[in-house]
Amino acid sequence: MGTRTKADDKAEREGSGQEALGLYREVARIRELELLLNRYIGEHGFGGFWHPGLGQEAVQAGSVAALRDDDYLFYAHRGLGYALAKGMSPVTLLADLLGRQGGSVGGKGGGTVHFVDPERGVLGQGGTVGSSFVLGAGAGISAQMLGTDKVVAIFFGDGSAARGTWHEAALTASVWKLPLVWICENNGWAISVPIAEQSPTENIADRAAAYGVPGVVVDGQDAVAMKEATAEAVARARAGEGPTLIEAKTLRVRGHYEGDKQAYREDVPDGFEMPRDPLKILRETVDAGEADRVDAEVGAEIEAALEEVLAMPPGDPEVVTRGVWA
Amino acid sequence: MSAATETPPEAPQLGYARAINQALAEEMRREQRVWMLGQDVGRMGGVFGVTRGLFDEFGTDRVRDTTLNETFIVGAAVGAAMTGTIPVAELQFADFMMIAGDEVFHKMGKWRYMHGGRLSVPMVLRLPTGVLGGVGAEHSQSLEVLGMHFPGLKVALPATPADAKGLLKTAIRDPDPVLFFEHKGMYRVKGPVPEDPEFLVPFGEAAVRREGTALTVVATGLMVGRALEAAEALAADGIELEVIDPRTLVPLDMETIVGSVEKTGRALVVHEAVRTAGAGAEIAARIQEAAFFALDAPVWRLGALDTSIPQSPDLEQLVIPSAAEIEAAARELVAL
Repeated sequence: MGTRTKADDKAEREGSGQEALGLYREVARIRELELLLNRYIGEHGFGGFWHPGLGQEAVQAGSVAALRDDDYLFYAHRGLGYALAKGMSPVTLLADLLGRQGGSVGGKGGGTVHFVDPERGVLGQGGTVGSSFVLGAGAGISAQMLGTDKVVAIFFGDGSAARGTWHEAALTASVWKLPLVWICENNGWAISVPIAEQSPTENIADRAAAYGVPGVVVDGQDAVAMKEATAEAVARARAGEGPTLIEAKTLRVRGHYEGDKQAYREDVPDGFEMPRDPLKILRETVDAGEADRVDAEVGAEIEAALEEVLAMPPGDPEVVTRGVWA
Repeated sequence: MSAATETPPEAPQLGYARAINQALAEEMRREQRVWMLGQDVGRMGGVFGVTRGLFDEFGTDRVRDTTLNETFIVGAAVGAAMTGTIPVAELQFADFMMIAGDEVFHKMGKWRYMHGGRLSVPMVLRLPTGVLGGVGAEHSQSLEVLGMHFPGLKVALPATPADAKGLLKTAIRDPDPVLFFEHKGMYRVKGPVPEDPEFLVPFGEAAVRREGTALTVVATGLMVGRALEAAEALAADGIELEVIDPRTLVPLDMETIVGSVEKTGRALVVHEAVRTAGAGAEIAARIQEAAFFALDAPVWRLGALDTSIPQSPDLEQLVIPSAAEIEAAARELVAL
């Protein structure tokens, strides 16, 4: 080891600057897609239900940034940031959402969908929320048995945290030291029920102690903090030390689905306003000029993606019976 | 090597449970990615002793004892199947599918479809099924029709030791998920079982267990033996039944069944499952759709009474069809 030079410091600064800018770009892309979908649904309606993830972008982008390209991902239903951050194209994702042939499920999509990309480890989601816990454990067993060194990230909400499937998976995943990272997006609302009425403890992360795994509470509006916490959990999982439960404290800006008036809620945010905007928080860590450049690029990318998708034909009736059997 | 599908009568005699054990051992030797999980399948060798010896041969990594946790057993198998391994999961009783209903019917059966065919779920769920003698209403049911009602699941229902082995091997090699209903009342029944490690019984090919001209009896599982018993009794009176065992309900070999009905003009479907909305209802409907003009009489069904299985081992036999009841029904139907 030689003496540290000023050039080293500069390289590190630039390196971390690049890393922060990369994260900023991911959060900005998710935000842009969220806003675009909101606008599109407002103008054209929607063939299904869209569950916005506005305000939760840092959880999704931050955590996924700590994964390897070939790590597995079971995403949750709020937004599409998970899959976008994992490397799926916005064209593919929008095509799935709008039921076009260019989607990852070949035109079967529409509304809340089942994005999939086996090459990038995106293994889909079930319509019954919380069902990924046991499936994710199985992917962890495969990784362990095949010696692929892969880690499984499983996202879920505070509502799904109530499912027995987490407890059932956690029990054995802990004993078998499966390479799992559970990321709970606690946005304070399980559809219409506030967290205080769902959980006897302030933190969902406290539940991890019962299964002998670390439970960590992280500021979900801080993408850097999310990335760091996830990186630690991923390292632990990859080292064969078993699962970690990360609870991201975040917030829900929009309704359970787009169009939900949230009459059950007293503190309904005004439009897209949010107390701690993850994009603004991240923006303070990067150069303003660079951020402006990224904003422009992201805006153009997402706009072009929508244009491309709208030119695609809708799902072919033939797909209705396709894919039942191998 | 080409696959052998026929069982020569001189093949070694083996019990139904041992035949399943042999299939598991052979497939795990053949393919490293095949592994097992379930309650007590390891050290103990299964509550019915079916997996005995596999833990010692293949170790804790490939023969995994789980907790009492059906959602985990099935759900983890689904997740493992879509990521490159081939799990054979066991539930101690087929009835416990209901505990893991979401995992069995939605995840195992629909994951591939929902995800545009981009992921496959090559797994087998072993399900000890049927009456055993005193295990009660929640451990004795025949629920195979559920697999027919949820597209995406294949359903095998072996009635002989040879089929138990050959169908299970085919199931493990199938790229789609299979519900494998093994009759726990038949675990000790012996029969000829080929030793050839490439012996495979194809899905969707019914077995004609007995040829006859008076009536086609379509029977599954435990009822195959009882139907044959009834056929022997009727043969003494010159009434020859043709007994067909579909062996798999998904896919279902209607060609063999319809071909037989076209010959006999009559059909009786027999199963241990509750008669109402059982697999027999579907088979009967398909027979009349395909062979209405060949029929000389209505298609009849025999199944369990519309009741739960009582705990008493003596009473439970009153609920499911007996050989005498099959004989009586056949005699009546032939005379119509």
